[in-house]
Amino acid sequence: MAAVERKQKRVLWAISIPMAILALSAVYPIFFTINAALKTRKGFVLDRFGLATDPTFANFSQAWNQSRLSEYFTNSVVVTIGAVLLLLLVSSLAGYALAILRFRGSKLIFTIILVSLMIPVQVVLVPFYRTMIALDLINSRAGLIIAYTAFFLPFSVYLMTAFYARLPRELFEAAQIDGAGLVQVWWHIMLPMGKPALITLGILNTLYCWNDLLISLLVLQDQRTLMVGIAALRGEYTTNVPLLAAGICLAAAPIVIIYMIFQRQIVSGIAVGAVKG
Amino acid sequence: MKATNRTLRAGTMLAAAFTLAIGFAGTASADTTLTVWDWKNGDPVTADYYAAVKKDFEAAHPGVTVKYVMQPHDQYYTLLGTAISSGQGPDVVLLHGGSQAKERVSALTKLDDKVADIKGTVAGWDEFTGADGGLYAVPISIQGFAVYYNKDLFAKAGLDPEKTPKSWADLSATAEALKKAGVAPFALGNKEGFGADFFLSAVAANGWTKAQQDAWTKGDLKWSSPEVKAIVQAWVDTKGAGWYADGANSTAKFMDEYESFERGENAQTIGLISDVAHWKEFDEFLGADKVGVYVMPPIAGGDGSLKLPLAGGIGYGVTKFSPNQDLAADLVKSFADTDHMKIFFETAGAIPANTKVDTSDTKSPSAKVILAWLSDGVPLAHNNMSTAEVEEWHRQSQLLFTGETTVDKAVARLDDVQAQSKKK
Amino acid sequence: MTSTMIAKETESRQPTAGRRSIFGNNAHRLAYLFVLPALVLVILFRIVPLIWGLGYSFTDYNGMSTPTFVGVQNYVAIAHDPVFLDSLINMLILLATLPIWIGLPLVLAILIHQGVPGGKLFRAVYFFPAVLSSVIVGAIFNMLLRYDGSFNAALKAMGFSAIDWLGNSNTALFSLIAVQLWATFGMSLLIFLAGLSTVPSDMLEAAKLDGAKLMQTWWYIVIPSIRPIIEFAAVVTTIGMLTSMFGLIYVLTAGGPGTATTLPEFLIWLEQGKMNRPGYASAISMVLFLMMGGLAWIQIRIMSKNADL
Repeated sequence: MAAVERKQKRVLWAISIPMAILALSAVYPIFFTINAALKTRKGFVLDRFGLATDPTFANFSQAWNQSRLSEYFTNSVVVTIGAVLLLLLVSSLAGYALAILRFRGSKLIFTIILVSLMIPVQVVLVPFYRTMIALDLINSRAGLIIAYTAFFLPFSVYLMTAFYARLPRELFEAAQIDGAGLVQVWWHIMLPMGKPALITLGILNTLYCWNDLLISLLVLQDQRTLMVGIAALRGEYTTNVPLLAAGICLAAAPIVIIYMIFQRQIVSGIAVGAVKG
Repeated sequence: MKATNRTLRAGTMLAAAFTLAIGFAGTASADTTLTVWDWKNGDPVTADYYAAVKKDFEAAHPGVTVKYVMQPHDQYYTLLGTAISSGQGPDVVLLHGGSQAKERVSALTKLDDKVADIKGTVAGWDEFTGADGGLYAVPISIQGFAVYYNKDLFAKAGLDPEKTPKSWADLSATAEALKKAGVAPFALGNKEGFGADFFLSAVAANGWTKAQQDAWTKGDLKWSSPEVKAIVQAWVDTKGAGWYADGANSTAKFMDEYESFERGENAQTIGLISDVAHWKEFDEFLGADKVGVYVMPPIAGGDGSLKLPLAGGIGYGVTKFSPNQDLAADLVKSFADTDHMKIFFETAGAIPANTKVDTSDTKSPSAKVILAWLSDGVPLAHNNMSTAEVEEWHRQSQLLFTGETTVDKAVARLDDVQAQSKKK
Repeated sequence: MTSTMIAKETESRQPTAGRRSIFGNNAHRLAYLFVLPALVLVILFRIVPLIWGLGYSFTDYNGMSTPTFVGVQNYVAIAHDPVFLDSLINMLILLATLPIWIGLPLVLAILIHQGVPGGKLFRAVYFFPAVLSSVIVGAIFNMLLRYDGSFNAALKAMGFSAIDWLGNSNTALFSLIAVQLWATFGMSLLIFLAGLSTVPSDMLEAAKLDGAKLMQTWWYIVIPSIRPIIEFAAVVTTIGMLTSMFGLIYVLTAGGPGTATTLPEFLIWLEQGKMNRPGYASAISMVLFLMMGGLAWIQIRIMSKNADL
């Protein structure tokens, strides 16, 4: 038996080598991006893979100031925070209603929300834009917050519903005996109990909103978010890769930091959302 | 624990209210604002030009603000499409000359009356003229295709660096000499099919007659006609003859192809005269005295003279739905203003559409050669194809290289697409 | 609250609660109110535009003039459009690779869960590409995969001949798929790890005591126990495959050579933007949506089951 275990250990060690190579490949882009950001445009064209021997920080300041990423940064932060909070609010309410309260038509509503999950953005581009105009939501950060909420809502509602459906019903039955109203139950029980799923959704939606390009391009035409600013660094013909790389470093840094902090919670949050008991 | 949770939740609500409030506060609008859409104004090399236009225009029109919005180029026409279809959006828009501009004239304001005074000084109007003969945008740059070559590599192959090919036979001999010296004769990037566009326009330029060019524009000169098919055949033959570095289908014309030319890996490339991939950029990498330029000779036909294929490159138009028609037209003219165009030429290296711009103090030898060609150009064939045709030519040109189609099949398919788009 | 606890509680839950609300009938009105914001947003910004787009698909809309009704003309045209037909074939090829998209991260997740040396580090690192935008992923692989790029340099060094990964119709689509897989497998990996964390460890221990081989343990015990999560990952991955490849296509191949990497998503972009034919693009969109509908039906069944509705 010990022999079996030893053999397994050896197998695992052997397997960890290709896995480490894969891990290196996953880290490489980050190294490449930072390295490229430290080169001049000419230096990059002449030597794309080599180490930046004479590092320059000019790209960072150019991206931040001249390419106005500093200005776009604020937009991205405001819009992302706003949309994520709104998403959490709306989806936890909906999940509560769909999973716990259950009413006539709740299955139909759940199906509608799931169907909308399957609609690719490209399919609804023009009509979506016209809807936004009709509601006078174009060119306002509030409009973008609402647009993000609408686009990322189906998945969030699904996850919250799945999560709440799995909580022991005794919890709410006890609350009902206490005579607590629905709003109080949501506030005092559903929100705290939903924390793992809410954290997961918070992280995922932050990622989606922060990295979104298309919706933001359409809705916030005059103010721009960070990703749009980065995309615009790609010219018609030329891409100044070092400048682009510097922009990407600046834009990805907050996300990478958030991910590192919440890594554990994402895992446990997804687990509760996705596993059927 | 409970208290923390409550605080957390209260904080969340407050933050939500706060962000929403900020979001709404952002909607307040100023007085008259002219919004300009393009894909250029954020480019560092054009920064001075755009700043000058904005400053002068705002000084001349108190209370008016010029707002530049730079769109990512890959989504530009999608965004413009949504704006046009909903009748709301920018006042002034940038367009590529040729089919991209012409297919959108119904969304643009006819500018004939407003630009009458500058019509004589600005060149390149054809690319922005609608089917009704009206002018719909003011060109700011002239675009053309020239062959740039690396004089060092010519010398290495035993060629006279100052003697350029004047005929297809000359060109073939040059290619052979370069190949013998172990140098790839041409850099070629055809990942998006642009390499094929450039080849077609460059080779057709001096091979087709004026009448044939006109017939091409109308869609009457078919792909299967001998003049066109010969070029498609040459596209395949030159590949077979080893003119190009390997991997053309996976090489982006912008900028993989040009960067390899700039690194001195190939001897020649079909480049532009404005914006990028042009004399200014090649001078910077190879040294101004090492860069040569010539006009691509035709396969056959022509009158022996070699004229540069050129056209209005890009131009600004006024959208029909702009509430400030006159102001917008003024702004469009300001983009083409002589003083502004001078800055455009000097900092961005674009050949200005405004012919009054004094370019005599330029130092680049190739720029001087190009400037001398400008007065007498010929049409850019691929600019006068419908977009559907251009896209299909991109695909077919790649399949011709992979050997998945034949010249006969390719021109038959292109004939179909040409006929279909003409019907519309 | 850890996931394991939840899973256990879930298991212990009696299925007697039934389908009725526990809060009596008066609560219903409030329940509608709770679900209303979500419903309004989804209908207004997703369902209404979908129906609107359906309307466009029966017109000759070019984005400028008033649309005229042309019946099914657009649908007839796309049925004869070789580019569209090629894009459908490409989509089917893409969908056929789904097992790899699931299998690779699943195997890696199991290995990490089994305590492969360095597993914690791998878990953190594998997710990085998913955080980066496709622009930078594309830029990097462009340089690795191009004809004179690093991959071919390595091949040549080993004595093989170079392959034009992105410029050859036989390899371009698969290269593209491989890059997208590389860029997104971290997400599925996390989902699987999460699922594995709910598998009771005594189950694994018992298997070990039986002297079961590693492979057998996985195949007969671990994988069946996380089947629901595999289905869930399949759903999420499929949606991603069909709707989020645009960025990479644009940077790496522009749909070529020929139509080798033109997926419906890319074609819609081309027709809508460059070709300026929203009516035609809408028709393609609707066909794509209908095809996804079949898929969606399966997915909705799985997801409804997961949500216990």
